[in-house]
Amino acid sequence: MTRVRVLMSLAAIAVAIGLWFALTAPPDALQGDYARLLGIHPPSMWLAFLAFGVTAFGSIMWLIKKTDRWDRLASASVEIGLIFTAIGLFTGMVWGQAVWGTPWDWQDPRLMSTAVMFFVYLGYMALRNAIDDPAVRARRSAILGAIAVVQVPLVYFSVNLFRTLHQTQSIRPDGSTMPDEMLTAMLVNMVAFTILYIALMTARLDVAKVEAEAEPQTSLAGDAVRPPRLNEVEDV
Amino acid sequence: MSDTIVVAGTYLISYGLILGYAVYLHIRRRRAGNPRG
Repeated sequence: MTRVRVLMSLAAIAVAIGLWFALTAPPDALQGDYARLLGIHPPSMWLAFLAFGVTAFGSIMWLIKKTDRWDRLASASVEIGLIFTAIGLFTGMVWGQAVWGTPWDWQDPRLMSTAVMFFVYLGYMALRNAIDDPAVRARRSAILGAIAVVQVPLVYFSVNLFRTLHQTQSIRPDGSTMPDEMLTAMLVNMVAFTILYIALMTARLDVAKVEAEAEPQTSLAGDAVRPPRLNEVEDV
Repeated sequence: MSDTIVVAGTYLISYGLILGYAVYLHIRRRRAGNPRG
């Protein structure tokens, strides 16, 4: 618990510093204060990509090692990734309404691929909740977690691959298209969100570990009251 | 509605969601550590 509190405190300080950078950067000549959403929209999506990447890593490691900790890592990271994808979508819609005149375009590859990614990982959570057997749950979700990550590069590069309302990458190999103040605000917030991810993951893994320790007791109680299965009825 | 209020509200809702998740984890951890409580 102490480690979680220390990390949460560090994350709170980092996010506060990031917020200060975002709010003190000069407003954009065209977008005004909406440009300040750079402090939350790209960092949220960066964190979602990171989280889903960690899920894929945990899933692949589970398929190799078959140990519970990798399953816990993968599922914990999906939960956090979903929250930050939701924030990325929400902040993007607010920004879109301001600069495109519409919060959503059903034909936009970046928007649609992000929404599909969100619902696939929501499906991952539904899959986990639908399976009672821990070993089956871990195997099926590991397969999905390892495959679903292909969407991350697809979402990221969709702005280059297709014609889209969304702008292309602001940071490219040949430099940045943003003023230095905005770029700094975005990068500071990306670092702050990475610290926040570490803190939230530590807290989430702590919960998962304690719940896993309590699980045998719970399933024993559940076994005592569950209805007989079909094959058991046939045996009788 | 002024742009500043919309941007501030967007930040507030987003950080509120993150804070809500952190509080949810805290409550879940306490319940898991103390099943009777």
